[in-house]
Amino acid sequence: MSLVEIQNVTKDYGAERGNFDVSLSIEKGEVFGFVGTNGAGKTTLIRQMMGFINSDRGNIRINGLDAWTDSAEIKKLVGYVPAEIAFPDAPTGTEFLRRQAELLGVRDMSYAQAITEKLQLDPSANLKRMSKGMKQKTAIVAAFMADSEILVMDEPTTGLDPLMRAEFVDILNDEKKKGKTMFMSSHMFAEVEDTCDKVALIKDGRIIAVKSTLEIKHNQNKVYKVEFSSAADYGRFLSESFVYSEQRPLQNQLLVNVHDKEINRFFSVLKGYRVRFITEIKYSLEKYFKSLY
Amino acid sequence: MFNKTIFKQTLASNWKLWGIFTAIMAILSAMVIAVYDPKIIQNMMNMLEDIPGIADMIGDRMDTMSLLAMLGQSFYSMQGVILALIFIIMTANTLVASQVDRGSMAYLLSTPIKRTKVVRTQALYLISSVFAMFLAVTIVGLFTVQIAHHGLWGTNYTKDIKAAAAILNLDDAAVEDDLTLILSNEDALKAGADARYIAEDVYRVYLNQKLTSRAYDAAAAVLGVDGDTVRADLTLIRNNAAALDGAAKVFGLDSAVYATMLDQSIAQNSLSDEQSKEMQSKFLAGISAAAEILNVDAADLATDMGQIKANPKALTAAADSAALIPATAFPQGTPATVITEQNEAAFLGIINGQLANDEISLDNGIDFNVKDYLMLNLGIFLLMFAIGGISFLFSCVFNLSKNSLALGAGIPIAFFIFQIMSQVGTSLEGFKYLSLNTLFDPNSITGGGTFWPQFAVLAALGVTLYAVGIKVFKEKDLPL
Repeated sequence: MSLVEIQNVTKDYGAERGNFDVSLSIEKGEVFGFVGTNGAGKTTLIRQMMGFINSDRGNIRINGLDAWTDSAEIKKLVGYVPAEIAFPDAPTGTEFLRRQAELLGVRDMSYAQAITEKLQLDPSANLKRMSKGMKQKTAIVAAFMADSEILVMDEPTTGLDPLMRAEFVDILNDEKKKGKTMFMSSHMFAEVEDTCDKVALIKDGRIIAVKSTLEIKHNQNKVYKVEFSSAADYGRFLSESFVYSEQRPLQNQLLVNVHDKEINRFFSVLKGYRVRFITEIKYSLEKYFKSLY
Repeated sequence: MFNKTIFKQTLASNWKLWGIFTAIMAILSAMVIAVYDPKIIQNMMNMLEDIPGIADMIGDRMDTMSLLAMLGQSFYSMQGVILALIFIIMTANTLVASQVDRGSMAYLLSTPIKRTKVVRTQALYLISSVFAMFLAVTIVGLFTVQIAHHGLWGTNYTKDIKAAAAILNLDDAAVEDDLTLILSNEDALKAGADARYIAEDVYRVYLNQKLTSRAYDAAAAVLGVDGDTVRADLTLIRNNAAALDGAAKVFGLDSAVYATMLDQSIAQNSLSDEQSKEMQSKFLAGISAAAEILNVDAADLATDMGQIKANPKALTAAADSAALIPATAFPQGTPATVITEQNEAAFLGIINGQLANDEISLDNGIDFNVKDYLMLNLGIFLLMFAIGGISFLFSCVFNLSKNSLALGAGIPIAFFIFQIMSQVGTSLEGFKYLSLNTLFDPNSITGGGTFWPQFAVLAALGVTLYAVGIKVFKEKDLPL
């Protein structure tokens, strides 16, 4: 059985809001991305997993425990980065982290220290005056410091600058190496593509597709953009037996779909033409999901 | 049941607000206690009586203006209630709804601490902070009573006792124990009267009244009943030799002599209603006559009868109009001057009795009943426990601060206003049924009414409201 098992979960807020018949399973050691536009129902599902919201139907089991009834027990395994950054009353970040550690039963702060350093966070600052990025880093440290087996993160990179985002991805990769299971939501495809093993797309509260990023990366159906020197070459090439996904006669450009098995035939045919340039159009998660929308 | 760590953290982020409110309340109640002066209160009451409408409102509270009664009608009806109310409204909202609204509750709930435990701990903080608040107010209040009025531990001797003891070269306690010592020494009597700023004859009556009262108590102790039983039926003493002996001892008199005194009192007490009414109207007629001479309002004069004593003409007029001893009671041919003289003496006797009575009620005003004081504080705590339950319930029900405050503050404030309105006049009295605050009535505590049933209702209501709040919070969806 999977570590996290989400079965036919529905939470209906009316007016097509909430989520409907969501089923997902996340294996131990997997990094799972959860992508969707704002208001698609990402946060609702995360709240259901955390036991903050009870589902209308279906059930969520984490390590065999029910997410609603055994919520407190599950928290021993789960670290959480909430979507909203609002801290309890505490004078400084350090004090907040100390109190949070106390609640979590964490005595050894060396791990928290390590993450703080990696994120280049100075937690001694006044908690209320922290920038959004600093607050987000503090929230990340709070979630990671118990060294929990499972990490649930609701858009954890909001407020982080690109450099910090890269640093965060590094941290996630380290955690992954340690065998941690992670579940993170995002509205940025590139981010999940870099970090996640598997990505689910949610739209209007329904899961549209679940895709392995490996599959995307090792996609054998490639698209090449070719620009010919002359309209004559362009016209002649159209008669070859390839699949053209797009034709741009004005620029003498063609987008050609080539399976990896055909790549040699493609190049030998091209030899007979005067080509200005050729590039591969990267196949991305975004492209894949957009094709489904 | 509760989580120590959460309690500690809640305390750390909320103690300042508690400290400020507790300090203000303790100081306010201490000030009310410290400035209490029965004489000033009496004068104030006399003044208020003249304002139309106010007299109806204060009405029967007039006589009961002891320190506790006054505390009950000021601090425990107004300042203490409204301040505690504001503290509760703010704290209840901060403890739950505001944390859910802001989202910071997520950090408490992403720990392996059960939701019910979290919310129970918050409830515990609210209850114990209110309890600690009134505990502090109580302790500060008791110290203030002791410092300002010496009413608690150690015996407080009135000024006249001290002055007389100095003349008699005796212990204060010895004099207090045997007031006849003052009565039998002219110098001591004069010193005592001066210390009280009253005339010697009034002081003499005052001492005798005190002795009479003590004699009744002594007799009651012998009879094994309480003083009120004896006062209601003086024949109890008359018919029991041991009781009569005990009472006589207080006066330092022979039983037989005391028995004659007692017979007079019994005779006086057995006057029929009609007879005493007649005496009263005679007396009032005298007051009116004196008022005319003195050119003051009769009602004013009734509360300050010392003026009649100071003016011989007024006294004569009063005595003549009152005619307490009717002319027919004198032998034929008694000169009018003698009749007037006798009547003057009788009238003076009543005035002195009244003035002595005033002195005794001043003494009683300072009398501080610790048990009643503790009951006042227990009562206001229970009221705030129930009101805290309301605010806490709505803090648990709503995810938004504004909604939690709308009801969690709105309802308690409405209750407070309804209670105030119900006291303004009889036409609005019905409002008291709409207010929880009516269940804590300081007057019934200080005035000897029933209050335990109301206390029980408040406690039960509080427990229920907290329990419902905790249950709602446990089962609801949280946007965290």
